[in-house]
Amino acid sequence: MTSRSLIQRSCALLGLVALSAFLFYIGKGHTLMVDTNAVTVDGKEFASAETVNVSIDGREPESMGRAERILVPVGGPRHTITIEVVSGGDQKLEQRISVPTFMDTALISIPAILGGAPRQHWVTRFVAPPSEDAPAEKMQTEGETTGVPATVAPVAPAAPKP
Amino acid sequence: MNAKLRLFLIENAVVILFILLIAFAIPVSRLPGKFLLQEILMRLGRNTFLVLALILPIMAGMGLNFGMVLGAMAGQMGLIFITDWGIVGIPGLLLAVILSLPISIVLGWVCGSIMNLAKGREMVTGFILAFFMNGLYMLIVLYAMGSLIPMMNSELLLSRGYGIRNVVGLDGVRQCLDNLIPLHVMGLKIPVFNYLIIAGVALLIIWFRKTKIGQDMRAVGQDRAVSGASGIPVERTRILAIMISTVLAGIGQVIFLQNLGTINTTSSHEQIGMFSIAALLIGGASVTKASIPNVIVGVILFHLLFLVSPMAGKNLIGSGMLGEYFRQFVSYGVIALALVLYEWKRVTQENASRATLRGGAAPSAAKGGAA
Repeated sequence: MTSRSLIQRSCALLGLVALSAFLFYIGKGHTLMVDTNAVTVDGKEFASAETVNVSIDGREPESMGRAERILVPVGGPRHTITIEVVSGGDQKLEQRISVPTFMDTALISIPAILGGAPRQHWVTRFVAPPSEDAPAEKMQTEGETTGVPATVAPVAPAAPKP
Repeated sequence: MNAKLRLFLIENAVVILFILLIAFAIPVSRLPGKFLLQEILMRLGRNTFLVLALILPIMAGMGLNFGMVLGAMAGQMGLIFITDWGIVGIPGLLLAVILSLPISIVLGWVCGSIMNLAKGREMVTGFILAFFMNGLYMLIVLYAMGSLIPMMNSELLLSRGYGIRNVVGLDGVRQCLDNLIPLHVMGLKIPVFNYLIIAGVALLIIWFRKTKIGQDMRAVGQDRAVSGASGIPVERTRILAIMISTVLAGIGQVIFLQNLGTINTTSSHEQIGMFSIAALLIGGASVTKASIPNVIVGVILFHLLFLVSPMAGKNLIGSGMLGEYFRQFVSYGVIALALVLYEWKRVTQENASRATLRGGAAPSAAKGGAA
């Protein structure tokens, strides 16, 4: 094998490795956990509107009440979230969010986005607590455990008044 | 004229037999035409690539490449890795193809080298090699993955902590090629992008035949001794044919499985070789001659029969299982029939040549001979 062909083959191999890394980056799948629970950031509380319509990457909007969570599977690092406040205000905004490559489940805080909290609080890693530590009354949906975001402390939803 | 007709019937015996069989089975099955058309359109997009992978080894005189199963294994491994890493969509499929490439190339080289040691018996060697490699594949998938090869997604692993589960869902890449260019004509979904890929590979094969290596392959396929004497590296050319076939089979398996949406870890690859070879033979190809029209016709006829035979069996005899058995019988039977026809034509041609040398008249049927 001549040195020229060796260089050509090495370049082709490196190109393939680089392409693989790029494909990994743009194709990495995530689960976005869209969350309307109130959050406290730097001592300031952000609460969600009564009802909001949330759409990720132009998909069919999902209607969400307060203290709800929905799971949206997506691929790639950058996404567009469209939030429309249906009741409790009249606001529609579209924001671009980035999900870190190795964050499998990302918690997207709707109150933080709507309330204009700093960007780093919009997307946080979802950490599921051990199931025995999760109080039953905090379970949002059947078969799903609630989690505490790494940097944002959730505020427990107010008990319904009689 | 009579001799010409006889020659035509002999040359196209398998195709004619299957057309007659399908012409009988379609009305008996009572399946709606639109359903059959939709299924054929989908299956053409799904299976044609795999069948195209068989053309080059035939061109190089190595017969039907039963070793294509090795490429299918490589494609599956690529898909298992992207599922484990959670790569979705078209990037996921491309990554699966890239991951399968080195495995396919190494397996193709191994397969080609072994076939060079068993010249003249390539088909049975490839068949047995596929069984041997299947054991190695099982060792990797059922033991090494999760123990020696780290896996990120524990849901893919068996409860014992290592080894991949029997069924792997490809939710992230399911039909993403089929739906890339959505086209609906009269209620029929057409996988346009798959057809574009198939057309691209078909053009590539046509172009490849005209290149220096392509010409070498044809020369080696016609006569190894003469090719070697004229300076063509026979063994290297044969290995190259098998390597390209194995790589194409790996890519074909990725396309095939993204359409199905699930991998049966231990068995998805096993029958790919048999079904692809049967489809090619039904299309009128032989052990020594195959073309792109043979591939298209073969996939349509084979899968049409696949679709109608269970319902035809049910309506005719009252048991759908009979149709299922018939499908198996057809796929193995057609390979046997094609091999018998090939051998018969070869012997007839030899006898004719001998008769010509002796000064006698050659039998008219032998004029066709092996292609």
